[in-house]
Amino acid sequence: MPELKPILLVEDNPKDVELALTALEQSQLANEVVVVRDGAEAIDFLYRRGVYETRNTADPAVVLLDLKLPKVDGLEVLQRVKTDPEMRHTPIVMLTSSREESDLVRSYELGVNAFVVKPVGFREFFEAIQDLGVFWGILNEPPPHRDRTG
Amino acid sequence: MTLETASRDLDLTACDREPIHIPGSIQPYGILLAMRPSDLVLTYASVNTAETFGLERQVVLGRTLREVLPKVARLLEPDLAQPEERGSTRFLRTLAIGTARGERVFDAIVHNGADQTILELEETPSEVATTLDTLYPTLRRFVEQLQAASSVEELCRLAAEDVRRMTGFDRVLVYEFDPEWNGNVIAEDRNDVLPSYRGLRFPASDIPSQARELYRRNRLRIIPDANYTAVPIESLSPEPLDLSDAVLRSVSPVHLEYMRNMGTMASMSISILRNGRLWGLISCHSGEPRRVPLSVRNACDFLTQIFSLQLEARERAAIAENRMRLGSVQARLLGHMAAEDVFINGLVNNPFELMELAGAQGVAIIDAERCQCLGHTPTEDQVQALFHWLSSEHPEDMFVTEVLSDHYPEAASYASVASGVLSIAISKMHPSYVIWFRPEAVQTVSWGGDPHKPVHGEVGATRLHPRNSFEIWKETVRGRSSSWNPSEIDAVKELRNTIVGIVLRRAEEMASLAEELHRSNKELEAFSYSVSHDLRAPFRHVVGYAELLKKQEGSHITDRGRRYIDTIIESAFTAGTLVDNLLSFSQMGRTALKPRLIHTQPIVDEIRQKLLLETEGRHIVWKIGDLPPIQADPFMIQLVFENLVSNAVKYTRPRDPAVIELGSYRKDDNVVFFVRDNGVGFDMAYVGKLFGVFQRLHRMEEFEGTGIGLANVRRIIERHGGKVWAEGAIDRGATFSFSLPNAIGAA
Repeated sequence: MPELKPILLVEDNPKDVELALTALEQSQLANEVVVVRDGAEAIDFLYRRGVYETRNTADPAVVLLDLKLPKVDGLEVLQRVKTDPEMRHTPIVMLTSSREESDLVRSYELGVNAFVVKPVGFREFFEAIQDLGVFWGILNEPPPHRDRTG
Repeated sequence: MTLETASRDLDLTACDREPIHIPGSIQPYGILLAMRPSDLVLTYASVNTAETFGLERQVVLGRTLREVLPKVARLLEPDLAQPEERGSTRFLRTLAIGTARGERVFDAIVHNGADQTILELEETPSEVATTLDTLYPTLRRFVEQLQAASSVEELCRLAAEDVRRMTGFDRVLVYEFDPEWNGNVIAEDRNDVLPSYRGLRFPASDIPSQARELYRRNRLRIIPDANYTAVPIESLSPEPLDLSDAVLRSVSPVHLEYMRNMGTMASMSISILRNGRLWGLISCHSGEPRRVPLSVRNACDFLTQIFSLQLEARERAAIAENRMRLGSVQARLLGHMAAEDVFINGLVNNPFELMELAGAQGVAIIDAERCQCLGHTPTEDQVQALFHWLSSEHPEDMFVTEVLSDHYPEAASYASVASGVLSIAISKMHPSYVIWFRPEAVQTVSWGGDPHKPVHGEVGATRLHPRNSFEIWKETVRGRSSSWNPSEIDAVKELRNTIVGIVLRRAEEMASLAEELHRSNKELEAFSYSVSHDLRAPFRHVVGYAELLKKQEGSHITDRGRRYIDTIIESAFTAGTLVDNLLSFSQMGRTALKPRLIHTQPIVDEIRQKLLLETEGRHIVWKIGDLPPIQADPFMIQLVFENLVSNAVKYTRPRDPAVIELGSYRKDDNVVFFVRDNGVGFDMAYVGKLFGVFQRLHRMEEFEGTGIGLANVRRIIERHGGKVWAEGAIDRGATFSFSLPNAIGAA
């Protein structure tokens, strides 16, 4: 049985972190959830740099990426990952407060796997987070290429 | 025989061609010798030289001055050794020399020709000998009176008087050239011997162009006797000697005939030069032959130079005064323009100042859109026609004429109001002009003889004769306004520069406004972007934590407490939705349209599908009519239909059955879509509020909503160039319609 891959949550707002973690908890996912608080940390994690130089977890099953982030914003992280031949198969879901069309367009141009506007309603938000966790953490079969390198 | 039909041109061109500077002879009042400057060997000599000094003719040419005339040479050699500037004539001295007829007195004058030194010895008539002492009081008196003279006319009269006093001529005229070189007699002093020419005009052909050029160069000419016998100049060279600067130069036989025709036996003329240009002449005539000694002639030349300087000073002062006056008019106009929102109104509302600027009696301000005629102008239609002519024929900055009908024959019909036109073009891109008008100034011109018949010729002969009648010939000049003077033209030119400056500045202001607008749009975009993130998040958190509280701690909370939590959740949810709606509304205004051909029928079907859940259990009768394809932004048009259809569904909630009808029709060049229902309707008194942002006509507990949907509908349709409207009545249903222009309608 292959090791369960973690879910990487990139979110600067502690309340959103708590709400998202609660939702994921309640969906009974076995995947570990790694939380980083800005774009720079996210890149460090993905590229095993800085404090994550020695991490021994697998690469994430999915990155839940907030759009507005300190230091390096979500779109930059997305661009970095999706333009890197080694990394571009990492599923990335934009998770954002914004319904700004330009962000949506830009994200899809950069090759985002999904773009989710955080619903105001908690139930909807819970459902969205849980669905994302279940779909990307359990149901989605990553491409074989990623298996070999992961 | 007289050639009645001979034209002015024949006279002009023929006279213009006469080589008057190389006549090959001199007048018989002295001798002329030309010599090589290097060795003073005589190369030309008037044939009377030998006779005057009792020599053999053959001993003159080819010998030095010293060999031929030792006394003259001795007296003058030091002077001749000094080179003269070309074209300047120098009076050397008065000499008493022994001649074949005893000792005679001569004035020696020298000047340099092309490669000759030319010496003239003019014999001083003993009976009129004068000295500088006798001339001085007259010159002094003249200068004193000049200061006191109040007008140019008086100045001219004084000059005429004093020249006559010094010279003893019967008539002295001051003669001014007009731009066509006709001469006008502006002052005169005379006795009864010769008739008055005062106020007469002499045609340009009387003084042909090469004579005018000679007059400019050699300021004073004299012909003591119109019946003189010319003395030829002999030479060893075939080249004729240039006598442009010689005082004894023999004149054209045509000119002598002209003099005899005028009844004058002697004449003298002095050039009045202004800035090196021939401005006029002081012209002296005598009924009998008259010698005027060189000293007197020089005094007259001096007097004339003082006169022309004074004339110039006065004219400059007058111009300066006029410029100041026009400058203040211009400053007032500028002030008026600055005070108006539409600057051109500063001109329109102050027609008198505008007219004063150009000394005009009427003015029109005209472009393709409007025509303002102020004061005495042609009719508006005539001004419009003139405007079109100007736009196509005279797009240059400025057009000036005193005789508009010469350029534009249609103007002959309104010459009485607009013979003179001065116009400025303000913009070349959008033709617009300010046109000043001056009426015809009917003038009676008294010509010194009929200017149209000046020439007489002999059959078969090439020699020309000047006109022989100087009877006053009156001519009435029509279709011509008074002249626009240079200060008026300059004032108008400056007004144009000012206006162009204003137009340019306005354009710059517009550009910077557009830039500012663009910047504030950008700011607005950034603002709503951050609102969409930062304002939404707290509402989400309120809802989230309240839900968690209810779910996880619900067992410890009372029923009332749970109701409070529900209200918190609901309110925060509503607030969040409001933010979403407001942002989508702002996006509708900012997002670029991406129109393409879309089919409306499937859109409506899809919307009905989505509403199925909401309408479950309700009885709704849908009547779907013809829904043609349109050219529009698909996302936005979908929002329009979604809003209208969901409104219909919402407001028919109390109806059983609810009837909702969708359809379209063509009206003029538009496609009109409508959504009609049999719902609760609305009061037409409030129809104006229906499409406003956050305007609601129903209480929240009756029908939920944020009041943004119809505002979005209106914004989207207006951005597509269409219109929205609604009709309804309370409890009798409503019809919402929108039109889209056919230009982007179905292909």
